[in-house]
Amino acid sequence: MAGSISRLTQSSGLARRATHDPVWVQWTLTAVALVFLGLFLFIPLAAVFSEALRRGFGPYFASFRNPDAISAIRLTLTVALISVPLNLVFGVAASWAIAKFNFWGKSLLITLIDLPFAVSPVISGLIFVLIFGMQGWFGPWLSAHHLQIIFAVPGIVLATIFVSFPFVARELIPLMQAQGNEEEYAALTLGATGWQTFRYVTLPNIKWGLFYGVILCNARAMGEFGAVSVVSGHIRGRTNTIPLHVEILYNEYNFVAAFAVASLLSFLALITLALKSFVEAKGRSSRSSSFETPNA
Amino acid sequence: MSIEIQNITKSFGSFTALDNISLEVRSGELLALLGPSGSGKTTLLRIIAGLEFADHGPGRVLFEGQDVSHVSAAARQVGFAFQHYALFRHMTVFENIAFGLRVRPRRLRPSGAAIRERVNELLKLVQLEHLDRRFPSQLSGGQRQRVALARALAVEPRVLLLDEPFGALDARVRKELRRWLRELHEKVHLTTIFVTHDQDEALEVANRVVVMNEGRIEQIGTPDEVYDRPANPFVYNFLGNVNLFHGRIREGQVHLGDSAFPMPEHQPVADADVPAVAYVRPHEIRVLSQPNGKASLPAIIRYVHSAGPLVHLELERLDDAGRFAAQLTREESRGVDLHPGAQVFVELKNLRVFGEDYSI
Repeated sequence: MAGSISRLTQSSGLARRATHDPVWVQWTLTAVALVFLGLFLFIPLAAVFSEALRRGFGPYFASFRNPDAISAIRLTLTVALISVPLNLVFGVAASWAIAKFNFWGKSLLITLIDLPFAVSPVISGLIFVLIFGMQGWFGPWLSAHHLQIIFAVPGIVLATIFVSFPFVARELIPLMQAQGNEEEYAALTLGATGWQTFRYVTLPNIKWGLFYGVILCNARAMGEFGAVSVVSGHIRGRTNTIPLHVEILYNEYNFVAAFAVASLLSFLALITLALKSFVEAKGRSSRSSSFETPNA
Repeated sequence: MSIEIQNITKSFGSFTALDNISLEVRSGELLALLGPSGSGKTTLLRIIAGLEFADHGPGRVLFEGQDVSHVSAAARQVGFAFQHYALFRHMTVFENIAFGLRVRPRRLRPSGAAIRERVNELLKLVQLEHLDRRFPSQLSGGQRQRVALARALAVEPRVLLLDEPFGALDARVRKELRRWLRELHEKVHLTTIFVTHDQDEALEVANRVVVMNEGRIEQIGTPDEVYDRPANPFVYNFLGNVNLFHGRIREGQVHLGDSAFPMPEHQPVADADVPAVAYVRPHEIRVLSQPNGKASLPAIIRYVHSAGPLVHLELERLDDAGRFAAQLTREESRGVDLHPGAQVFVELKNLRVFGEDYSI
């Protein structure tokens, strides 16, 4: 009896193992993945913090008290504060139109939304210089009216909007397409206005996807280098964002300050990652009423 | 409320979904739009609801004599139940049903207590009182459909429109919900139009059936009318099983092989010598062991399936080897030797003849 039972368990154990790859394959693949991650993600991240703290916490925090650093942080926040809400509105509007309606030129619009992903950021920056720069199309007209876009904050905002605008739309379009229009139609037949339908039906269904898109959009807006570098003009204290400030400090061999400011962006990345996994977990189990509960 | 549909045409690109449709829906009736997929029935329902709009032209939709062709869905006061229910997934059952009342303009909106009362009333009507706090994902298909109906009824619609109301449910729940829908209709007496591709459903539930095909109406009538007197081969084929006998029309009779059968009156076929097809339902065939002297067709039994209340036969004509099916009650099968290989004579009790060029 006992023998036959142990034979059974043994054979089922064999059967289980037979569905898996050999051990050495498992270990090799895992090791390759870990080495790759370590080489390209953890070591650089650790390097940022170790370089920043090389001379202790005093010089580390002193780097943030520098007026140029403060101005760079303020500018980055300002740019994000303008471009993220604009891209939020644009992204929702575009994905609403694309997912819920059929119209002429729809595939062209989808392609255009992807354009910033396809174009090198430096080229995007150059496009704005070409349009608004002194030698550009609107340059003479702008300077005649004492308006400066290139080498000034408006140019940085424009370039940032351009490079970060696909994020919200890209996140929402597949989500909204998967959800279809039926709930909106149902709301319509129940007498809801367009705004009520959006507010009480569409928005609650997309809120986590939307939040996710906004997080990514914000990370890109704050971290953008190439496009902003072309249009900013690198004027210290005026048109330097955090990434540009890091570059200047680094080129001046001011490594501690450069890595200290860079660590800010690393924190942003870590927070973004944390929020992202939180939102993903939340989006999966999201079920909440948009109205107050009736018996409350 | 009565509804009139006049000359509605609707195309999607080069595809014509509805081709000059006119239809009158009587106040308080339970009407079925029956047809295969792609026949335009759902499009017609959505045009009545205001979710789609007909092509430009003379087409009009009238509610109680009033032209609503250009009125939005929100203003038409229709109750619409979607095929896949389209319940608001982030709201409870209670909130789903209350939605239509809560989105009303402030001056028309009932008080919180009145909304609660109305929703509870509807929950009782659809027998889901205890599920008010559930979310749609926690309900079975049949329960979701009933929530969808309650939600549609909450706004006191002038007409109830149901798109394949039982389409996504399993057979047993379908049967139950059919009866339930008929009872509900008797209770609230609301003009109701439902779309279905299931002939049994249409014939069992509806007062009148509209048979549609390729964007046109083939026949309108009570379930008995469309089943017993199909207007054309399409309706014949679509509603239940049917046998086709190829033959010719001569001197007012239809000739199948060597036998001549009298043709019932008012047939849509000329009196000349033309090829024709006779349609006979399996239960309209009598099987005899001897020729009846008048009109009968010799055949050989190929297959017998006799479990259940009916005896199903598969027969083969002696003259052209054409196969056909017959259904006999146990009563009728008595006294006839029914076994594979036996030769019998069949009498066609109710045959309808259509010209051969009539395309199906």
